[in-house]
This record gives sequence, C-alpha cells and structure tokens, in this order.
Amino acid sequence: MRSEASKGLALSAPASLYVGALVSIPLGILVVYSFWTQTYVSIDKTFTAVNYREALTDPLVRHLLVRSIFIAGMVTIATVALAYPIAYFIAFRTQKKTLWLLLITIPFWSSYLLRVFSWKLILGFNGVLNSALLSLNLIDQPLTFLLYNELAVVLTLAHAWAPFAILPIYVSLQKIDPSLLEAATDLGLSPAESFFRVTLPMTVPGIVAASLIIFIPTVGDYVTPALVGGSEGKMIANLIQVQFGAANNWPLGATLSLIAMVTVGLVAILFVVLATTAGRRIR
Amino acid sequence: MTRFRRYLPGLPAYAFAYLVFLYTPVLLLPVFSFNDGTIVAFPLKGLTLKWYAQLGAQETLIRALFNSLIVGGIAALASTSLGLFAARAYVRYRFPAKEMSEGLVMLPLVIPGIIVASSMLIMFVSIGLKPSLTAVILGHTFLALPFAVSIMKSAFDEFDQSLEEAAYDLGETIIGTFRRVTLPIVSPGIIASLLVTFTVSFDEFVLAFFLSGNQPTLPVYIWSQIRFPAKLPNTLALGSILLLASILLLVVAEYFRRRTSKTSI
Amino acid sequence: MSDQNIIELKDVEKRFGSFVAVSDLTLSLKQGEFFSLLGPSGCGKTTALRIIAGFQDHEKGKITIDGVPMKDIPANKRPTNMVFQSYAIFPHLTVFNNVAFGLRKSRLSKAELDQRVNEALDMVELTGMGGRKADELSGGQRQRVALARALVMQPKVLLLDEPLSALDKNLREAMQLELRRLQQSIGITFVMVTHDQYEAMTMSDRIGVMFEGKLMQVDRPEVLYAQPCNREVAAFIGGMNFVPAELIKEDGDQLQIKAAGFGTLNIDVNPNVRERGSALLIGVRPEQLEIAATKPEGYDSTIEGTIANVAFYGESVHYYVEVEGLTDVVSVAVPNYFHTVDYKSGDKVWLGLQNSSIIDLGKG
Repeated sequence: MRSEASKGLALSAPASLYVGALVSIPLGILVVYSFWTQTYVSIDKTFTAVNYREALTDPLVRHLLVRSIFIAGMVTIATVALAYPIAYFIAFRTQKKTLWLLLITIPFWSSYLLRVFSWKLILGFNGVLNSALLSLNLIDQPLTFLLYNELAVVLTLAHAWAPFAILPIYVSLQKIDPSLLEAATDLGLSPAESFFRVTLPMTVPGIVAASLIIFIPTVGDYVTPALVGGSEGKMIANLIQVQFGAANNWPLGATLSLIAMVTVGLVAILFVVLATTAGRRIR
Repeated sequence: MTRFRRYLPGLPAYAFAYLVFLYTPVLLLPVFSFNDGTIVAFPLKGLTLKWYAQLGAQETLIRALFNSLIVGGIAALASTSLGLFAARAYVRYRFPAKEMSEGLVMLPLVIPGIIVASSMLIMFVSIGLKPSLTAVILGHTFLALPFAVSIMKSAFDEFDQSLEEAAYDLGETIIGTFRRVTLPIVSPGIIASLLVTFTVSFDEFVLAFFLSGNQPTLPVYIWSQIRFPAKLPNTLALGSILLLASILLLVVAEYFRRRTSKTSI
Repeated sequence: MSDQNIIELKDVEKRFGSFVAVSDLTLSLKQGEFFSLLGPSGCGKTTALRIIAGFQDHEKGKITIDGVPMKDIPANKRPTNMVFQSYAIFPHLTVFNNVAFGLRKSRLSKAELDQRVNEALDMVELTGMGGRKADELSGGQRQRVALARALVMQPKVLLLDEPLSALDKNLREAMQLELRRLQQSIGITFVMVTHDQYEAMTMSDRIGVMFEGKLMQVDRPEVLYAQPCNREVAAFIGGMNFVPAELIKEDGDQLQIKAAGFGTLNIDVNPNVRERGSALLIGVRPEQLEIAATKPEGYDSTIEGTIANVAFYGESVHYYVEVEGLTDVVSVAVPNYFHTVDYKSGDKVWLGLQNSSIIDLGKG
C-alpha cells in the first residue's frame, strides 16, 4: 500500500503543476520581456530598464494606475456594501435560501460582455433609462452624467461582481451560531450593538475574501472601462491592451502589466492587514 | 432567530429591489431583441423575429460558435479531470504542502484578467505557439480549474470514504473500486463541473481576445459586432439565445449538484 | 470454537507521526470465537481492526490469518470482510446488488450468484428485500445489508467496526443477541470493535481491553469482571470501589493486607496482576457489599459509615457511603427486590464484606 502522502501528491500534482506552470512561466517571460525594447516589429533583446523609467515617469501611467486603484476601491466598497444586506437577508431572514442563492447567481452566468454592453444601452444618451424617463415626462432632456464616466464603471462592476460578494459573506454569516446572538441579547446588547460587536466582526473573513476577489480583477479590468468608461473612465488595463494591440510595444505592455500587478499586490496586502487589525480591535 | 425578524423591516423590500438591479440588464437583451427598430430605447416599436432569423445566415457567427463549442468542450473536460483528481487528494489525503497546493489552484480566480492574458500571449509566442484555439483552450482550462476543483471538492466531501473501503474489502481492485463505486456516486458532481466549466469558457472574453488570433470565439465575435450600431439588434438576439442556453445549462448543473448531496445519505 | 488459531498478531506497532496508535500488539484469535476489542475512543482498537483488514499499514510486527502471513497482501485479497461503522451501503445500488457486489468478481453463474445472494438475505432476515434502494432502508436494515454483503463472501474472519453504535437502544439490544446467534450458527470468527462494555460482555467469548494503544488484558467476560489486571481495566468494566492498602505478608496464593478503613484482611492473589509492591490497591464491586442498619453477622469485615447520597436506578439502588479513613465514598448497589429505598442521606449504616469478594489489583 502506497503512503497517503504520495497518493495525495500524485493526485494533486497535475492540477497544481498546471496552474503553477501557467503562472510562473508566463510571469517569468513577462519579466524578461519587460527589460527588452521594441521598435515596430523587431525586438531588441539587450537588457535595459528604459521601459520602467518610461512607465514610472509618464504622468499618464501614474494617473491611470491611481485611477484604476481608486475605481477598483470604489467598486469593491459599493459591491460589498450593496451585497451585505442581501447576504444577511438570505442567511437570516428567508427560508428559501437555495432559491435566493440561485436567483443571485443566474445573471452571473450570462455573458459578462453582454451584461456590460447592456449597461451601456441602459445608461446611454439615447438609452433605455433616458428614453424611459423622457416618455414618462420625468425629465425633459436626456441625462448626460450617466454614461462614459467613473460612476458608470462602478455601477456596472458592482452589478457584475454581485455573486462574488454575496456568496463569501453569506458563508461567513451562515457559520455564526444563532446562540451567539442570543447570548449577546442576553448580555444586554441592543440588536444594533450585537450586529456591530458580534455579527460584523465574525464576517470580517468573508468581507476580506469578497473584497480581494473583487478588487484584484477589477484593477485589471478591460471590458468595462472600454465600453462604459469613456475617456474619463479608462483604466490601466486599457493602456496595457493598447501596447499589445495598436501600439505594438509588447515590452512596454509587459512592464505595465508587472507594475500593475505589483501595485495591486501591495494594496491588497495592505488591505488585508488593515482589515484584520480593524476586525480584532472590536471588543 | 425569529426574535430578530422584527428589526430592519425594510430588508425584504431591499432584497427585491436588488433583484431588479441584478436582472434589469440581463432581461433587457431579450426584450429589445424582439423590438422592430435598431435603436435601443423606449417606447418599443413592435414585435419582430427578423433579428433572430438573420443570425443563421452569418457564416462568421456560426464559425465563432463552433470555435467556442470546441474550446468550451475541451477546456471543460480538461479542467474537470484535473479538478477531479486534485479534489480527491484534498478531501481524502493528508500530504506535504497540501494547503499550498489548494491555494495555488485557486489562484486563477484572483489574477487580473489582463495580466493572465498578456503574459500567456507572450509565453505562447515565445515557445512558438501562435495565437490559436489551442492557446485559448490551455488558457481556459487554467481559468476554469478553480471552479472544477471547488465543485468536485464538495462532491467528495459528501462521499463516505468507507464506501471505497467496503468495495476494496469485498475483493474489488483499486481501479474497479473507482469505476464501480466512486465514479457512479460522484458522477452528478462531475456533470455539474463539466457544465459550469463549459459555461466559464463559453463566456470568457479577455483571454480569448488576446489568444484566439484569427479564430475568434463567440465573445470575441460579439465584441467585433458591438462596435457597429447597425448590427446591434442581431447582437441582442444572439445575446438572448446565449442567455437562455446559459440558464438552461446552469439549471441542469444545479440539478446534478443537488443529486450529489442527496445520494450521500 | 476450536483451539486452532485463525489470526495471529505478533508485536504489531502503528504510529501516526509521533503518536503511537498501537504498540506491541500480540494476540491469538481462535477459530470460531466471537472476540471483542474493547476500549475508550482513541485507544487504538479501530486501528488494530483496520490493520487486520489491511486498510492500515503497520511499521512493525507480523500478522498471519489461517497460517498465511499477511505482509504484502492487500485488503481486497485478504480472507476477511468488514462491517463498517457507517455500514457503507452503496447508495447507487439496490440491496441485491449491494450484497452481490463482491461476488461479481468471482465469475459465478447467474443462478449461483442469485442463490448465494438470496441465501445471505435469508440469513439476515431480509428475504425478498433485494429490490429495495439503499435510501429506502431503516438503520437496522442497513446493518443487515452490510452483514449479508460481508458474509456472502464466506470470509474466514468477519470484522465489525462498532456495528451497533448507529442504532437506537432497543434495536441495539435486539441486534446484540441476533449477531451472537448468527455467529454461532455460521461458526466463523467474528472480531468486533466496541467502546460499550455491556455490548462486549453480552456478545463475546473473549474480550481484549485496550488503553492508549496497549492491549491490557484478554479474557472471558466473567474473568475480566472478577479478576481485572489493573485499576484501568477494573474501572472501565463495571463499577468498582478502590481502596488503598499495604502488603503485610505474601503467602502462596494468599495475601495479608492492611486496607484503609477496613483494617487487616486476608485476600486471594489475582493471577492476572503483573506488578505488586508494598503499596497495594484493592477493589470491591458495589453489588458485593452488604448494607444494614445494624452491624451484620457472618462477614469477614464490617465497617460503619454515613449515607452521603442515594441514586435510584430502577433495577437497583446505589448508596454512596462515607467511611472514616477513606477519602472516596463507598458505592453500594442493592437489588431493588421490594421496591423500597431503605436509607436516606445522613443515615448511619453498617457495611459488610467477605474476603472472597475483594479483588487484588496489584501495585497501588
């Protein structure tokens, strides 16, 4: 009989090696590329930090990076804040948990591209919302602040990420033993107090998980800013895409990808540290 | 629990409002796909099916659909197989670096899409693999793996380990035990995983956009159509069909996922 | 039962990391006996059973079944079959196909297979239930299917891992008798793991008591009860009053001792005791003590005390008596012959004791 350890390793190896290889090799090559340069179609393989110098001094890069982080932060806050009451509702206020969980996940399985596109149709100058409001005589001119700005990006992504926020928070709420809340009441806490001193701290892991799973991919989102962001809502991913597309400067694209990734990583780590310390300080 | 029902009486209303928020953009596509006009705005102009009828004649669409089916099918099979074995290891065995491995396979969920896409593009080009469906399949298998692993993990979680021991005890071989006991019992989980990973691949855009080269998948095709206002109603019709297909797949997957938990009693 | 050994374990040891699950396990099981491994949870009894079945490897030692060394023989080739604690009924198969599961490997003709399966179902009184689905069965029926599925393989040894723990109390008692009857009619060796002392005593020919990976004592139930080898075994099986004592004189199979509270006593040597020093421990079963309002006549030793507590058990009444010179209260069990509780807390009573009912437990 082979040992448990070797069986476990053998069975899990294909999956973890596959992911490991497809993370480390592309990133390794990305790092190498970032030190090369490209003019039109020919790649110059002499090592140089010129891309980094260019990327880090270019005010546009810095501006897009800061905006990406800002928008991703707004998206994360908006999504989690909108989702928390729903998760709470499903965990504590309804008997039909499975139905509700299914209801909130179904829209997620429709094409992401089309959902974002749909928001563009809703928020547009001649779009669904404006035409509906006009025909109801609620406004007499189309609203222009709806589309092609940061707000549109935040709204669209808060919609797109909904299940990713609801599910982890729901899971952490579900784990709370109801007798803990009864104990809090018994010890004289009002419902609001027991929410802030028992429920909320116990769901910090769920909130952190939801935030990371939303924040990280959002910084690198490309479709939403391209469709509903306009020039005001463009993000770093759009600039990266341009380097691999129209501008045809892969080394610079690689450099920007790495800078974006490191920035996201640092912000994420900072967030986890802050959130867990904050969670611990509640008494 | 009933004690807390009293507080926040607005919560159910909020929940319904949230559902409206979730479903409006999704249901908008089918509504306007029947609209007899090219502008998506109220008031609706009348019912028509012509946008649907025109779809069949578009050869590039059919080819893109075919590409997506191939990519989705293979990526679903590959990620589910990898996920099946890995999940079994995670649920059943203790081994060195298990937690690291479990974390690693979830990584594709949290790497920004643009970074996965750009780095894979560079890698495939460096090793001489031109952007193609093969590249997309490899990438989608990577992206779908976390879904396959978590579905298969819950399938194995519900699976009583002594069932395999019983089969082995009754003289069955290890492979025979897997075929006669493990597979039939976790098969609803496998089907659920295949359906979900297929859907993940079928809807994926960014990676396919970078890696598909001149063999566009359906989302890449849709992206190319979105830019042309004249094609808009066709795109809406196509989107509605995809929506319906996705929901059907999901309902079937959910049915099989629930079968997993039922058989474990 | 015969004197021929069917299973022999010699110096078997199993470690999980630094934790020793089973150590120095040496045990011979006779052909046709009902043997129980008894012990608290975590004592290594299930590990020992799984080592016999071949589900668990072991670092040291040797196992032979029917004279054949089991090293390198995997579980699916061993002449043992197991009834699992969860019963492990295949949920995707009918009762018939569950029972036929192992036979399908043996290339029997369809008629033979049907006959074997139906016989097995008859044996466990599930005649005609072959078409049922696994999820349509009650707990007792699941256990019968598990039994039939193992017995139909005609194993040399049937292994049972806590087979009754999933059943409710009444069903459990009925199944104890039935399992015993079944084992006697088939005549093969049953090895059962249990943490329930009464279950082990009512069903087994012999019991092995395990603590912390070590086999403490192997004996017939009545010997285990009357002559436990040490304090742990004595405390695990039945109730026991422990009294510290000093050895005055050892004389052949007799000991002269001075026991706390009871004074000087002459008691029999317990042959199962392995270690003995000048400090001794003796034990008295609660039902072996006489309790009376006045000093009782005809006892080797009498002692006065005060009732501290009374517990009514239905079939018996337990009195807890404080005795001068003893730190622990003495527990006395009186059969409830006349439906009366004769004493209450605070009453002065006398306890009477015969030397023959005092158990020598060796080193104190």
